[in-house]
Amino acid sequence: MKMRRYVVLFLMAAAMVSVTGCSRKNNGNPPFLDKNVKGQIIIGSTTQMSGDWETVWTNNGADSDVLRLISGYDTVAQTKDGELIWDKTVVKLAIEKTNEDGSKTFTFVLNDGLYWNDATEVTAKDYLWFYAVFANKERAAAFGLSGNAGKDYVGHDAYYDGSAPVFAGLRLLGDRRFSVTVAAEKLPYYYDKLMVSLTPYPMHVWLPEGTELLDAGDGIYLGGNVTAEDIRETVKAARWNSENRVSCGPYVLKSFDKSAAMAVLEANPYYLGNYEGKRPEIAKIFYIKLESETQLDMLKTGEVDLISGMAEGVEINAALDMVETGGFEAVSYERNGYGKLLFVCDFGPTQFVEVRRAIAYLLNREEFASQFCQGYGTVVNGPYGLAMPMYKAAKEELDERLNAYSYSQEKAVEELERGGWIYGVDGGPYQSGLRYKEVSGKEMLGYEDKIISLPDGRNLMPLAIEWLSSENNPISELLDIMLVKGEAAAAAGVRINRTTVQFAELQNWVMRDVSQGVQYEIPTYNMFNLASDFSAYYDQSYQWTQDENLIAYGYNVQRLSDPELDRLSMDMVYGVEPGDEKGYQKIWVDYIARYNELLPELPLYSNTYYDVFRDKIRGYEVNSLWKTVDAILYCTVEE
Amino acid sequence: MAAVFLIVSAVLYFLYHLIPGDPVKAELANFVKENKNLTAEQIEAEKQAITVRLGLDQPLPLRYIRWITGLFTGNLGYSQSYRQPVAQVITAPMQNTVILNLMSVVLALSLTIPLGIACAVKKDSVFDRVTQIVTMVGYGVPVYIIALLFIYVFAVVLRWFPVSGMNTPGAEFSSVSGWLLDRIKYMALPLLVMTAGSLGGMTRYVRTAMVDALGQDYIRTARAKGLPERAVIFSHAWRNALLPVIALIISWFLGIFGGSLIIENIFGLNGVGKLLYDALMQKDYELVLAAQMFYVVISLAGNLFLDLIYGVVDPRIRVAK
Repeated sequence: MKMRRYVVLFLMAAAMVSVTGCSRKNNGNPPFLDKNVKGQIIIGSTTQMSGDWETVWTNNGADSDVLRLISGYDTVAQTKDGELIWDKTVVKLAIEKTNEDGSKTFTFVLNDGLYWNDATEVTAKDYLWFYAVFANKERAAAFGLSGNAGKDYVGHDAYYDGSAPVFAGLRLLGDRRFSVTVAAEKLPYYYDKLMVSLTPYPMHVWLPEGTELLDAGDGIYLGGNVTAEDIRETVKAARWNSENRVSCGPYVLKSFDKSAAMAVLEANPYYLGNYEGKRPEIAKIFYIKLESETQLDMLKTGEVDLISGMAEGVEINAALDMVETGGFEAVSYERNGYGKLLFVCDFGPTQFVEVRRAIAYLLNREEFASQFCQGYGTVVNGPYGLAMPMYKAAKEELDERLNAYSYSQEKAVEELERGGWIYGVDGGPYQSGLRYKEVSGKEMLGYEDKIISLPDGRNLMPLAIEWLSSENNPISELLDIMLVKGEAAAAAGVRINRTTVQFAELQNWVMRDVSQGVQYEIPTYNMFNLASDFSAYYDQSYQWTQDENLIAYGYNVQRLSDPELDRLSMDMVYGVEPGDEKGYQKIWVDYIARYNELLPELPLYSNTYYDVFRDKIRGYEVNSLWKTVDAILYCTVEE
Repeated sequence: MAAVFLIVSAVLYFLYHLIPGDPVKAELANFVKENKNLTAEQIEAEKQAITVRLGLDQPLPLRYIRWITGLFTGNLGYSQSYRQPVAQVITAPMQNTVILNLMSVVLALSLTIPLGIACAVKKDSVFDRVTQIVTMVGYGVPVYIIALLFIYVFAVVLRWFPVSGMNTPGAEFSSVSGWLLDRIKYMALPLLVMTAGSLGGMTRYVRTAMVDALGQDYIRTARAKGLPERAVIFSHAWRNALLPVIALIISWFLGIFGGSLIIENIFGLNGVGKLLYDALMQKDYELVLAAQMFYVVISLAGNLFLDLIYGVVDPRIRVAK
């Protein structure tokens, strides 16, 4: 009897949640049919759009730009300065609660008036159904997904493998109320808001009519036995739809002509605004594909109104010439990343920190940056971009603590002598030519064929560095002139041998990717030239791990073994409570300083990017964290 | 022809699978990057799942049979770089490439054949010499330079044509002719460049074939019989000069399909050449195979067309009659 009562209560609760969750329509006019929304602009990108807009399936930059223009109402917003905040336009209430087991629950209450562009109300279900569907192993695999949706939440693993019927870490608490519980083992995490930045997807579009998202009090689940086949057609249609796509961002994707590589977007009259309540004022945006050879010609002839992210000095100079003639404007911002020489630290000469530091002294990086960037970039001394708030806050301290490795042959020699590179080829004191160092059996591993064994039993390693560079790369050519063919390296007793390959080949050597060929398994090259870019959230965790499983997939490709740098990279995000800016900043500075001391990479330059546009666009302001798709909301067009 | 198609498809399929590379590892690397705190078991499980999803748990011959069967039913495989079915990826570029190349061929032939004939008829005249020099220059200048030059002159300075793209953004057309005119406006410059790029070689070839034909005895006989010069040139000389020209046209036609990559890149045309190049760089072999098969089909169709047209032009080759 008691059991029956529970069943009835359960069914009633489920029905209530289900009924209150039914989609509701706004039957009136769109709320923001604003007369001030006018004009049109053409934005160009050199990346081809694929028409697969959802970032869960694609990582294409141009697709992602279009997606960002049509997406909105995430629980968390990133401000112009890169700060993570609750989006007050979306979230009426965000309650954080730490549970007894160390997990953390975030309960969200949505604001009224959030609508999709088809006038259907945005509800809590729209934020949760994606996890109920795609955190399941079979369904995820059927759609080419990994099933990692909600991987940080309580109950993910059990729901993923099917051992639990509900996703316990996600709760549907009402029409506009839901909660997310982050597992204790994932905390603390400095950017914890990122973990609960949920994006709504229109459930009524993606899932067949009648599909129910339920919660009986212990987590969300799909009503009935929903298989991948049941939802295949609606998911496919929703994923690929490019005509009046149902969305809730500032713009609506009206059409996409793949043949012409052009997406047409119109201001969304249902959009309430971004985190500041800002709504678009430009009525129409055309997003088109550009070719780098002719993009400035197109700007000149009016076929495109805005080009963003120009990095090459020659192009920038040409664009600035156009600005001088009138009719165009340009804004610049620092790159959130840097170009570098990556050292391999587990074999050969570059396993010794003194050699890495000596190379830093032997390259005139100021001159290098000046020549390569043609004035649109500068030298950095650690793994950071000049626009990072952490860098700005600690600039003075970093200037004091970091070694700038200013060009100096004498200091390079000092480093080498300190490191024991004091022998000539005969084992006597170094006089001229190539330097040698006496090495142990362990130190000569992987470099045996180049070792000179002397009759007295000593093994000498030559200071000959194998550098692998990518072809058709101006950076490689400049490095070749300044470092390989320059006099300083030879005079200091260092020889650098250059080999040039295609970039994909270079990656195989960096990764030691045996699946691409057995030759890559054998450590061969000591140095590569590459570049790194960062998102707004600086998380370097696992970057210096010793776990071979992770190294095989791209972590610590430098093969540096330094527990201190590893600890700092982990503590920076996993050892600091959210909001503890001072704690994060202190570890960040220590991390940068440790990196600068060990030099697993030699940072070379950080560019300045330029966005160039026709002066009919007013109010365009960008920075390294606030890009075109964010800035366009604040722009107007004066025809 | 079907046998040739099958053999070529099998050779290409097996060749591409001989190239070192592991698509499972490539996908797995993304998974590991996106998911921190993974155990070795989780990585292995995902590896198995990806292997099954990509069909790589099957032996190679079986995979070929599945692929070729799919090819006939429109399932060209799955593009790893686009994460979409290949058929979906390749349709639009294929249309663009076919339209552009066919129009270019028609335009080039309609210019080069009369020009070549005129040069041959007026051999060693001022007209012939000037044409020889101009076509020689055109023959020697790379199409990339011609494209940039034409863009500067016709698009930037004269503003006759747009620099790049396929149609006017935001333009709404009330009639099909309006839409067609817009398309033509955008296709004009790439077409002019492709045509200019092929004028030199083709004109010179037609001229040589015609000069050769006009020197034959039967031409002298025809003239001696009092036939009008027009009939001598077009009915007698041109018909005989056509045979080697047709062979050249077909191989040139196939060549421009492969060589339109530069034009596609400069003019922002979403074509197969560019798609093939990008797919090769990204080791997206199912997409590469599909693009290659497109060229195989074009080649086979070209050869078939050549055989048929030979039969039409030269009665001696008609076997059935």
